[in-house]
This record gives sequence, structure tokens and C-alpha cells, in this order.
Amino acid sequence: MMHCTMDDLGALRAGEASVWARQHITTCAACQAELEALYQRVAQLKALPALRPARDRWPAVREVVRAERARRRRRWGTWTGSLAAAAALAGLLLVRPSGGQGGKLHAELSQAKQQSATLEDSLQRYDIDGRVLSGHAAALVAELEDRISVIDGTLARRDLRARDAELVKLWQDRVELMRELVNARATRARYVGL
Amino acid sequence: MTVALAVPDVLITRAQAGDEAALEALFRAFETPVYNLARRMLKRPEDAEDVLQETFLEIVRSIKQYRGEGHLWGWIRKIASTKTLMRIRRDQVRAAEPLDEEPVARGGGGGPTMHVGTNIDLERAFEHLSETSRAVVWLHDVEGYTHEEIAEQMGKSVSFSKSQLARAHARLRRMLDEGAHA
Repeated sequence: MMHCTMDDLGALRAGEASVWARQHITTCAACQAELEALYQRVAQLKALPALRPARDRWPAVREVVRAERARRRRRWGTWTGSLAAAAALAGLLLVRPSGGQGGKLHAELSQAKQQSATLEDSLQRYDIDGRVLSGHAAALVAELEDRISVIDGTLARRDLRARDAELVKLWQDRVELMRELVNARATRARYVGL
Repeated sequence: MTVALAVPDVLITRAQAGDEAALEALFRAFETPVYNLARRMLKRPEDAEDVLQETFLEIVRSIKQYRGEGHLWGWIRKIASTKTLMRIRRDQVRAAEPLDEEPVARGGGGGPTMHVGTNIDLERAFEHLSETSRAVVWLHDVEGYTHEEIAEQMGKSVSFSKSQLARAHARLRRMLDEGAHA
């Protein structure tokens, strides 16, 4: 007498068995027992106790995360330095061609640049790894950092000679977002008593 | 093993912002299920620990991409199983691990010899399967993956997944039978 293969039993378990297997299982006690054993094995596998790691791997994960953040921060510092240099160059370009309007834009640009640099310094005091953020503050910080990144990307792509007023506006927007970011960090620091 | 971990949204939000305490809390919440998943599929405990570490590094790097669709464990489990299967593939390339080629015998031919054995017997028998077979059995029977999902993750066909499962169960059955009669 032909019996179910393990493939047949698996298909029966999945509700995908052939007509023959579905008919056979109704009359063959041996195959019914095999199918029941299969169910039991699966149930026992699911009930196996959880295995736990012998060593704590969090310190290793944390060290890699910190190292990656430090690298990003160094890149960020280089990048903001480049932005400041770009702003200084833009200022020179704005002053040279026209005097009056150019001078006003240059003054505004210089002011925005200085404010941005000051705020970067302030941010450094609060931006220390491992400090606790509330959920609200974390969401706000993440959003602000994303928006600043978008502006930085735009500044990096711009032709500095092309739209001077727009350049000043971008820097002013950046200053405003930086100010909000510093406030969010400062609020967090006060909240946790740092 | 049942994983029923309710992770507060606020913890996920903090982790997405890079808060280290929140990231550690996530690690503590999921280290055992991630390790268990990897360890059940891999033969060497140190390999499973490596997968645990690689999985959480991936989580830290991509947690911002988690949008809250489905349970967080489902998202983490996908990363962990992918890392585990990558390691199995890598080790296979290095060592040419043999697959379980148990002939798919007719099940009931010898009569109703059902000796399922104890949990410990089954656990020991399971450990004797190849890593590929362990992965298929564990992902399908315990984690509830479909053959289509397993095939996609392993870079194999659906029929490969089905035949590996059948062969693995045939081998488990034989080992348990032999153990019961020893």
C-alpha cells in the first residue's frame, strides 16, 4: 500500500495536498499518525526555550555607533567650515559688483553667517552623546536637523553669483532653524538637569 | 518562543533621534529573540552573537526608515533573518556545507512508529541538521514565514524551500525514531 511522503504530509499541513493525499489520509491510520507526529514536532519546536547570548554585545554595538557618530560630526564640522568659507566668498562677490544693494546684501549675509557660527558653537555645548531626550524633543530635533540638512544641500548646489537675495534668505532660514535646534537642546538639558 | 513585545512609540521616536539610552532599551528588549532566531539556525554560538551585533548595528543605522507599519519585531526579525541567511551563504561558499539529502521515504510504510520524544531529544536532533535545513524549518514552522518569503530571502526557489522542509522533517523523524529505540 502506498503511503504519504513527507512532502505530502507538509502539503496536507499547508492545505495544498493532492486529491490522492487528501483521500488517503482519511483512511490510512499510519499516515494519520505521521501527520499528527509532524504537528507535534512543530509544536515542540515552537515551545523550545529561548537561547540567550553568553556575552553582552551592547558595549560593542555602542562603541561602533559612537565611532560612526564621531566620524559624522567631524564631517559636519568640515562641512560647516566649508559653508562659512562659501559665505565669505559670497559676501565678497556681492560687494564687488554693485556697491549699494550689494553692500546691504553683504551685511545681511555676514550677519546671518556670524549668527549661524555662534549657534553652531552653542549647539556643541548641548550635543553630547548619551544624554536623554524626551520623545517630543527627539522628534523636534530630528525634524530640525533634517530641515537644516535640506538647506545645506541647497547651499552646496547653488551658483553663488546667480541669486544673491535668495542666498541671504537661505542663510537666514538656516539661522532660524539653528536657533530652534539650540532651544530644543537647551530645553532638554534643563529638563534633565544638565 | 513567543515574542510579545510592546514597544512604546515614544521609545522608537527617541531611538530614531539617536538617543543612546533609547537604543540600548531597544537592544535589551530584542537581544534575546534576535539571538535565539540566529542561534536556532546557526550551529556556532559565536556566529549567532555576531549576527546579534550586526543586526543591531543595522537597526541603529536604519531605524529612521521604520515607519511603524506592522510590529517592530517583524521589522527587526526581517533584518536578523537576512543577516543570518547571509552568514549561512557565506559559510557555505567557504566550506561547501552539504545540504540534508535525506531521501523522502514513504512515511507510513513501516507502520505507526511514532516516537516524537522529549523536547530535549528534538532539540538535539534539530541541531544535527544542516544550517540551511535549520533555517528553513525554523523560519517556516516557528516564525511562520511562507515558502515564497523563505525562497526570496535565501535566493532560492519555492520548490527548494519545500523540499528542504520535507527532507529536514524526514531526517528529524528518523533521528527521533532511532533515539527512541536506542
